[in-house]
Amino acid sequence: MKPKIRIESLGIRLPEKRMSTEELMRTCRRRPRLDLERITGIRERRVAEGEFAADLAIGAARRAMELSRHRAEDLDVVVCTSISKHNAPDEFGFEPATAVLVRKAIGAKRALVFDVVNACAGMLNGIWVVQGLIRAGVAKCGLVVSGEHNMPLARTAAREVRHSLDRQLAALTLGDCGAAVVLDASPDERHGFHWLDLVTGAKHDHYCYSKPSRRGPGGMLITEAVGLQRKGAEHFPYYLKQAVDGSGWCMDDIQHVIPHQVSVRAIRRGVREVGAFLRCDMPDFYLSSAEKYANTTTTSHFLVIHDHVLSGRIRSGDNLLLVSGASGIVITHATYTFDDLPDRYRAKWGQP
Amino acid sequence: MTRRVRLESLGTSWPRRGPWKGGSLRHAVDAGRRCLAASKYNPADVRVIVNAGVHRDEHVCEPAIAAYVQHGLGVNVEFQGRRTLAFDLLNGGCGMLSAVHVVSSLVLAGEADVGMVVASEANSDRRPDPGWTYPSSGAAALLDVSPRRAAGFGAFAFLTREEHADLYTSVVSLALPRGRLLLRRKAGLEDAWLAMARPVFDEALAREGIGRDEVGLVVPAQISASFVRRLPEVLELPPEKIFDIAQRLPDTLTTSTFLALDAARREGRTSAGTNTVLMAFGSGITAGAAVYRE
Repeated sequence: MKPKIRIESLGIRLPEKRMSTEELMRTCRRRPRLDLERITGIRERRVAEGEFAADLAIGAARRAMELSRHRAEDLDVVVCTSISKHNAPDEFGFEPATAVLVRKAIGAKRALVFDVVNACAGMLNGIWVVQGLIRAGVAKCGLVVSGEHNMPLARTAAREVRHSLDRQLAALTLGDCGAAVVLDASPDERHGFHWLDLVTGAKHDHYCYSKPSRRGPGGMLITEAVGLQRKGAEHFPYYLKQAVDGSGWCMDDIQHVIPHQVSVRAIRRGVREVGAFLRCDMPDFYLSSAEKYANTTTTSHFLVIHDHVLSGRIRSGDNLLLVSGASGIVITHATYTFDDLPDRYRAKWGQP
Repeated sequence: MTRRVRLESLGTSWPRRGPWKGGSLRHAVDAGRRCLAASKYNPADVRVIVNAGVHRDEHVCEPAIAAYVQHGLGVNVEFQGRRTLAFDLLNGGCGMLSAVHVVSSLVLAGEADVGMVVASEANSDRRPDPGWTYPSSGAAALLDVSPRRAAGFGAFAFLTREEHADLYTSVVSLALPRGRLLLRRKAGLEDAWLAMARPVFDEALAREGIGRDEVGLVVPAQISASFVRRLPEVLELPPEKIFDIAQRLPDTLTTSTFLALDAARREGRTSAGTNTVLMAFGSGITAGAAVYRE
């Protein structure tokens, strides 16, 4: 039987500076006639100042290693999954891999290093890769890390958005954050990932993409939000049911569902779609932090875990269902049971 | 005894002579098509597609370029029936070898039964950076569990010297519309790579449990004619054991090792039962070596 992989440690690097949606909308050259806060439910986000994507990743990795029982020099693999590789003003770094910078900063001297990039599914994709390396005996423990400095895309959108149906509007729902998880084989069969499945429906690769803007400096994020959400909603409930069934669970066994934090409204719509597919009432087990941190892309699930572990809502032994939708379109589902990490995390980082 | 993962098929899209209007994606899809045409598998059998190419058309960073390749190859593109996961793996010039290592591990771990690694390089800038010297190319490899324990990939070894990371960097400057790729190679890069070649080569051989005399052929990335010429001395191997086509194949970054392997196979330089060592060098700076038995 394949060993289960657990999240042995978690680290989050959240920038201090807050920016409200209203403040961001005020920076738009042509302010669209819509109430973005009402539509998305996103009140504010965190904004990195004086630090970049690699710094957020390194900050998160350091915090994860502080809580971990493993030493950095024992890590066999470091995988960085950031989409936004804004590592200097007006620059997007392809080489060296960001994982090299993280390895250097934390002193993971013998770790294999590479970046895995798969839009917002990046961190879960990185976990799937490290799970494979651990199960194949290539690694005993690994670090999956991501630093998302998304605000340059939001600034381009603020410059270039022309109207309330502009395809760059989704870039105004982004926020900055770094997240890292240390993974190893779970010593207890009850804890760890029971199911982790990713599938790409590449026919729908045109709904969301990011590249340098043609109209001016900076990178841009183009999203056909309606089409993307429609296609996602059409297909993801089937995979969600498969994940729950494949884990030997039913919906009553799940304490928390963490969807991708696109917007509060999109999460509510996803809940309705799942309820309609399963033909049952859905309990109120959906966790969201989008209202205060916005969409932090790859790091969003782990930011929600951080937030709700500290608030005491997520407890040791809880069952989680992670749901992610990413451009590609990539649909991801994971089922997970916590060991004592929430208790250790609260003891380390919680308010005394 | 452990199982091995083999190169079930290899597809390449060599640098074109004369004007070539296709970009990075076209090379990747061409190589992928050839790879699938030479394979006994149907496209729908491919469970995972990993793109390891660094430089992409119009510097697209989302979605994964592998999703575009999956679409171009028509591999389970809709959410129905069989499923495929496509993602990118970036590790500079060592990316394709790293991706082969990762997919081999996923296959051995039972996460995927058939995996494809694809890489391609091109620069779509109107005025390419003078540092850009790579002719555009593509390569694709299909991996599955080898039916024979003696054949397939053995040990992999990678070595990273992050203290030399600034010797090779590539960034896309976003200061101008459409972005511009800037490549920076500092003096001493080839010497630094050569200094890593011997330790990484020795580590791969030690993990495989074979001696230097049991190596039939070394297929290195064709970094430059002078680089490949210095390898026999560094690795303490006779020059005929180093596959050198640097005169006719300039460095093509991620695809270089696999284009060279394709040429070595066509020229009959690899034979059943002999150990071939694939070597790659890239940013990080990283060197990689893998033992492969045909």
